[in-house]
Formats: sequence, structure tokens, C-alpha cells
Amino acid sequence: MADIVDIAVSAGSFQTLVTAVQLAGLVETLKSPGPFTVFAPTDDAFEKLPEGTVQTLAQNIPQLARILTYHVVPGKLKASDLAQLNKLTSVEGSEIPIDTSEGFEVKNATVIAPDIEADNGVIHVIDTVLLMG
Amino acid sequence: MTATVTKAILPPSTHEFAPIIHRLEAGGAMLPDTPENLMQIIGIYKAYAVPMDFYWRDLLYIAERVFLDPFPFFKYFLPKEYLELHNHYAGDDADLRIWRGKATAHPELLAFMEKGETFKMPKLFHHLWHDRVNMEFAEACMRAMLWHRGMGGKFDPYLDTDEYKANADRAIKAYFQGNPVMLGLYKLFPEMFIEQVRQLSYYSNLGLFWEVMAPVFFEMSDRYDAGDIKTVPEAMNFLVNAIFAIAGRPIYHHLHIRGEVYEIIPKSCGFMWLYEAALPYVEAVFYRTAPFRGTKSYNAQAQQVPEDQKDFHYGILYADVFPVGTAGIPPTLLMQDMLHFLPQYLIDYYQQHCRGKDDMLIQLGISFQRSMYVVTSAVIQALRTALLYPLDDPNPRHLKANRAFFEAQLNRFKRPEARLRDVQSQNYR
Repeated sequence: MADIVDIAVSAGSFQTLVTAVQLAGLVETLKSPGPFTVFAPTDDAFEKLPEGTVQTLAQNIPQLARILTYHVVPGKLKASDLAQLNKLTSVEGSEIPIDTSEGFEVKNATVIAPDIEADNGVIHVIDTVLLMG
Repeated sequence: MTATVTKAILPPSTHEFAPIIHRLEAGGAMLPDTPENLMQIIGIYKAYAVPMDFYWRDLLYIAERVFLDPFPFFKYFLPKEYLELHNHYAGDDADLRIWRGKATAHPELLAFMEKGETFKMPKLFHHLWHDRVNMEFAEACMRAMLWHRGMGGKFDPYLDTDEYKANADRAIKAYFQGNPVMLGLYKLFPEMFIEQVRQLSYYSNLGLFWEVMAPVFFEMSDRYDAGDIKTVPEAMNFLVNAIFAIAGRPIYHHLHIRGEVYEIIPKSCGFMWLYEAALPYVEAVFYRTAPFRGTKSYNAQAQQVPEDQKDFHYGILYADVFPVGTAGIPPTLLMQDMLHFLPQYLIDYYQQHCRGKDDMLIQLGISFQRSMYVVTSAVIQALRTALLYPLDDPNPRHLKANRAFFEAQLNRFKRPEARLRDVQSQNYR
């Protein structure tokens, strides 16, 4: 099996995310044994952000890394594990609310592809970039 | 279009401010969309942006250079270096160009600094005659943020960490190098010095916050003049987009001593403009602040002042502008600053109403209040976009969450002092 980064790279629909992870210097971390649960926004999710948002983040690496680590949770948590929970604490430190009452929602994002297994964790694909607050 | 979809799915709100909730749900602002409102708020943004161009430069100058000077008599005397400091969001070399104008100090500001209300004379005389930009207003805003503290974000908790104290300690020792008196005082009262550095970190925080807002307001004014902003929601949406575009701007505190930079709050902390500056600023300055001395007497024992700081309601969204209009009161200082830079169309407008020129400060204060209701609307819509759902979301459960959010926000304006009801009418001047 491949690791989280390899899967994201080969999928093709996470180009912005992959570039951001590379810029933020998080590739090594996400290739480490972990395990991690990653909520991965698609390119379309990044497209929904108003113009300039990604540009400013790309210019400021620690701030970019903070947003990215809000999408990562320690441990390998599959959809069935998350069904028992109503919130998670991200690597960034802020909480991520989880709602599995109807479908599978992570904060204001909807999971469009759950449980993509990797060597060092699991990826849930989401349709919206998660922001703290 | 959006409104129809929303209304078709959700029953009407039963909130006291239901019409305003529905307006927010349709993508509008708390301020009604009329050409008169639009003209007032844009004119005021422009008049606010010019002194703000001084405020942010001077706040950074104080945080980065004046620092712990025990006799900071000249802290409002901006050196050329800071007047020419490039705004990161204007000019050709901008990180992200928000304003089409120049990156250095605004020409109207420079002209005012030279002549003031009187005539050209040395800076010191302008200062002593108080014919200058009222930097005391900016410091009052900074102090509101420092005093309330703990309004979300990671900046404020960081000020209590050992890491911060160690950084501050290094900066203090470097700043007072070769000054045994001050170093001795620091040894005796270390906490007092650290607390002063915390205040200076808030100078930096607010300076970096306003560095963004000045070009945003200038650009809005230019777009209005060019006919590109035609409605209040368009103005609000420009603000919403700007909030997102700049959200990731770093918030830090650097001190410059003898050519060396001391990072009291390094950029690597990852503090962001949105979470660590903008949201705490709105909470501290728009909503809370503190009762201004000399405006009205409050009896704290009779519960006339809320027990919890979070319930304070002395910000611009609640202010009775009329009694505030007294010399030396921070909001009046701002009104006085804006008076110098009003566009002609606003001067003409104020002259047609109330007592014309004689109560222009009050009239522009109320326009300012209207304009800040639009900024607050933009913050509410930006938070809704970031944390909740699109206004045209097809899922009724999502729309309900949006509504609950809007209603919770407007609950803060139920108290009688709030001016939300007043700004709905054009007769409130």
C-alpha cells in the first residue's frame, strides 16, 4: 500500500493540497508512520475560497501549515470509528466537530469519499476547506 | 434569487430582528441598501483610511522602535522611514495588491501633517497645539484589546507563556543595554516591564491589523468613485473577500535595536490576521470597549456596569454619539480626525441636514456607526462562509444552522443601547 502523500499525489484531484503540503514542509511528517487521519479537501474545495486566500497563505508558511494541520488528526480513525464521536482535536489544536447523523459531515464540509486507506493512516475526502473558529 | 430559495425552504424567522435576519439570509447587510447609506459609508471609509494610514505606521513605530522608552515624548513624531514604509497591500511591490494607490503614506495625510488646521509650522508646535492626528484614539483601541484580552485566538494566551517571557526578557535587556538604572528597575519589577511589553505587542497587533484595513477602505472609495460599487451588499462583499484574502497575513512583534531584530513574537508562531487580530479587534472595539470617562456616570454597585467583561457594550455599535461628542473622548478624537479628510460629497450632504457645519462631528459619527454596522455585517457573513454554509445551500438543515448563527449574532443587539434599530432609518442623524 502507499502512504497518505503518495495516494493524494496519484489521485490527481488534490493538486492544490499537495502543493500546499510541499510548501509547508509537511511531506515528511505525512510520510512518517503516524498514523494520521487526514481530511483532504479537493481542488474544487480550494477553488471555493475567495480570490487571494490561497495566495496569502502560500506567502506565509507557518500560517499555511496551521491551516493544513487543522485537517489532520492523530490516529487512524475510519468512518465507523468517527460515528461514535462528535468532535476531534486536530494537530493544530482546535476542535473539529463531526456529524454522522445524516451522511458524514466534518464541520461544514461533507465527506465525499470516506475511508481511503493508506499505510500510515486514512484519508476522508471533503468538499470544503476547513477553517478554525 | 437567493432569498426566494431560502424563504421557500425555511419558515420566516420569529426573531425580534426578523427583517434583518431575512436580509442577511438574502446576502445583504444589517444596514439597509439605499444610495444614501452607501454614499455615507463609503465617504466615511475614505475619511477613516487617511488617519488610519498614520495610526498603523505609528503603532508599528512605537512597537518596533520607541518600545520601552521611559519618556516617550516623541512617539507621535513619525520618522521618514515609517512614513515611507511600504504598505504590504498597496503599491507595485505589494504582497497582494488591494489598493491601486501608492504604498507610502497617503498624500492627504502628508499635507495635513504639514499644515494641520492652522498653517505650516514646526512639528513640535503642531503637536503642542494638538493640531495633528489624534494618535490617542489608536492607543485607546489598542488598550481595549489589551484590557479585555482572551477574546479568542492564540495571540493572547501566548503572552503568558514562558517562551514569550523569555523573548521579552531578551528584548528588554538588549534595549536597556548600558543603562544600569533601567536594568536595576527591571530586576526589581520584572512583571511590570513584561506587562509593558505585552501592551507593545498589542501595539504591533493593531498596527498590522490596520495596515490591511487602510488600503481596503481606499480601494472601496476608488471603486465607488469609478461606479464599480453600486450597492451596500456590494460594498459588504468587497469587505468579505478582503477578509478572506488577508486572513493568513502573519501577526507578530519584532523589535529593532541598533540594526538587530529581536523577535518577541516570531512569525513562525503562525498567528494569523483573521484569528489573532481581526476577530479580537471587532470584539474589543466594536462591541465591548469600556465606558469613556467624562461621557456619563455609571454606578457599578447598582449593576449599571456589567459584571462580566464579555457583556460590556460600549463600542461603536452601541454608542450614543451625541454625549460622546466631547473633547478628549476617544470616539470624538476619531471624528475630529475624519473631519479633516471628508470627501466633498459628504461635506455637502451634512450641510443640508441638522445644524449643518455646526454638528458635522455628530453627523459623521453616526455615518461612522452605519459604516461599522456594514463592517460587522461583513465579519458575520465571512464567519458564516468560513464556518457554516452557502446562503443558497439546498439542505434545509444547513440553512437552519445559518439562521441560528445569524439570530445568535443579532441577539447581541437586543439590548436597548444597541443602535441597530436606529440605523434602519435615515432620520437617525
